[in-house]
Amino acid sequence: MTFAQAVRAPQARRVQHRPHRQAVPHRRAASRQAATRVRGASWEIRSYFLVSGVIVSCFLLVLLYLAQATAVSAAGYEAQRLAAQRDELRRQNALLVIESARLDSPARVETEAQRLGLVRAATIGVVVPEAVAATR
Amino acid sequence: MTATISHARLRVLFAFFAVASLLLSARLAYWQTVGRADLLSRATDQVHSDLIVAAQRGVIRDRNGAILATTVELRSLYAIPGLMTDRDGTDLKPRIASTLAPILGEKAEVLRAAFESGAEWLFVRRRLPEDIAARIAALHLAGLGFEMEPKRLYPNGAVGAQVLGFVNDDGVGQYGVEGRYAAELSGTPGRLVVARDPANRELALGLRTAVPATNGDDLWLTIDLAVQNAVERELAAVVEREKASGGAIVVLDPKDGAVLAIASSPTYDPARVGSADAEALRNRAISWTYEPGSTMKAITVAAALDKGVITPATSYQDVGYAVIGGRKLCNAQCKVYGPTTVTQILARSQNAGAVFVASKLGAADLNAYLKSFGFGQRTGVDLSAETGGIVRPLAEWYPVDLGTISFGQGLSITPLQLASAYAAIANGGTLYQPYVVASRRDADGEHRTAPVAVRRVISEETSATLVTMLTTTVDNGIANAAALKGYSVAGKTGTAQIPSDEGRYVDDAYISSFAGFVPAIDPRMVVVVVLEKPQSKLLGTVPVMNTFKAIATDALRYARVQPDRP
Repeated sequence: MTFAQAVRAPQARRVQHRPHRQAVPHRRAASRQAATRVRGASWEIRSYFLVSGVIVSCFLLVLLYLAQATAVSAAGYEAQRLAAQRDELRRQNALLVIESARLDSPARVETEAQRLGLVRAATIGVVVPEAVAATR
Repeated sequence: MTATISHARLRVLFAFFAVASLLLSARLAYWQTVGRADLLSRATDQVHSDLIVAAQRGVIRDRNGAILATTVELRSLYAIPGLMTDRDGTDLKPRIASTLAPILGEKAEVLRAAFESGAEWLFVRRRLPEDIAARIAALHLAGLGFEMEPKRLYPNGAVGAQVLGFVNDDGVGQYGVEGRYAAELSGTPGRLVVARDPANRELALGLRTAVPATNGDDLWLTIDLAVQNAVERELAAVVEREKASGGAIVVLDPKDGAVLAIASSPTYDPARVGSADAEALRNRAISWTYEPGSTMKAITVAAALDKGVITPATSYQDVGYAVIGGRKLCNAQCKVYGPTTVTQILARSQNAGAVFVASKLGAADLNAYLKSFGFGQRTGVDLSAETGGIVRPLAEWYPVDLGTISFGQGLSITPLQLASAYAAIANGGTLYQPYVVASRRDADGEHRTAPVAVRRVISEETSATLVTMLTTTVDNGIANAAALKGYSVAGKTGTAQIPSDEGRYVDDAYISSFAGFVPAIDPRMVVVVVLEKPQSKLLGTVPVMNTFKAIATDALRYARVQPDRP
């Protein structure tokens, strides 16, 4: 369509829309064409939305996967950190257990007792159950 | 014309790209097919780490659960000298060396020399004590780092060292329980294959193949730490007091052969094995043999009583010596006792009397009973490096051997063998195999060691008779210094000469020993004390009896054994 045709277009459309005897079959054809156009436009829109939907869905899926992967990865690092912390606490606990065993050692207790001036009891009195029972 | 040239160029360009594409496709096809494995391998190597997961070595505990040996991870300090610079590139090695030196107790020059040796990576000090490692870590010095390494720790120091053994730098158990149960204690290493990021952190989404390590078994010993401590203390004291060259003490439970304590002198500290000499590593209770002397008279009398050739009241006329195989064997100081019963033979420790008893018994039976009591063969105790001693085959006996062996010369035994034999006398006549590991605990639970009754060596009647005779020996005889207030004690002293390499006995050197059990009736422990080359000749066996007494007093008090005498 040229510029002049475009300028005259309203008149031309009026001329084209004027009732005409042979226009009836033409109207039907035009109607079919319009319907086809609408259907074509609808298909295009549907395709557009479909493709857009697929793309958005894929994007969302990828985003979801990435979010999950990142979360799992972060959780993995956190688990590692906690495992290292657990191992260190276990190690510290083992060191404390050893220190406790060292402090409980009879040799150390004896040395410490000597340092404090304690002496070994010369005798220890023993109560014989039979003798106690006999007195009662 | 222009169009023609243009088309030609286009064709050339097309051909170039076509060829390039073909080459590229071929190369890609190559890497996707033939070279795929290589590429995968390279990629895998970059991100995967394949580690051996060390198994935790088992803990060793005494019979009450006190820790005797355990393993912890300690920090080892390493250096990367190439990183010892600041941002300006200034060399920090001298400053780091001088900072570390006082903490590590090392000279700064030595550390600096190590840093400047040209090594890219080196250990500065391995398995540091935790407080020192913490002090160094707090300094945040450039080029220094820590690596965890397992270290075997013995919280009781040198106490029990001869029983426990030690673990060398390669983590291999040596001597004692550590050596004998090396496989059970060490466990099985695992394997961990994981994907790592550039910061060497494990990737949660990556490959992960893990074969877990199986930790070593925990061992619960029959050793009682309190008794072991008393035994080691008394042995160290008597060796020092008597200026002896060595000694050994064994304490057994006569009811089942469980070893309550074993001590040997000289000894070592498991934490400083490197500075110990070879002699200190030898457990004299099981790896050293000696001629026992008069403690064997109890065995000779036991054999003769069991065979029925004598009774406690059987007597002979003692003239101070006995002649056998053309040789004259004297009593100590050739003392003459006159009419003597078998009970008195033990009470006075008469050599001539022992020869008299042995002559009644005969060489074949004496030899058989010696072997039956376990002499000349290993007891089978579950400690490494046990020796069996020597009891020569009967065919190799000279006539005089019947006499000398009757009072403990001419054969060699270990202190543990003697303790085991006395345990048989004490428990009614059954020889038990001594054992040290009471139970083993792994993932499946506890596996207890069943006591092994090797054989009956004498009858219960013989045992009871001999116990009475040995009690008399302590109450009224030569072993009176071993008597304990409130408890009956049965035992026998022994003073033995030491054979030289030339086959003669060494002058002015002897081995002093005492073997006994307490209480005499329903005994709780057998104690054998052996002292090698004590210097105080006048005291004879008194020091070993005093040692027995001190150990028995402590152990009975600790075990809360009720006195059996007023």
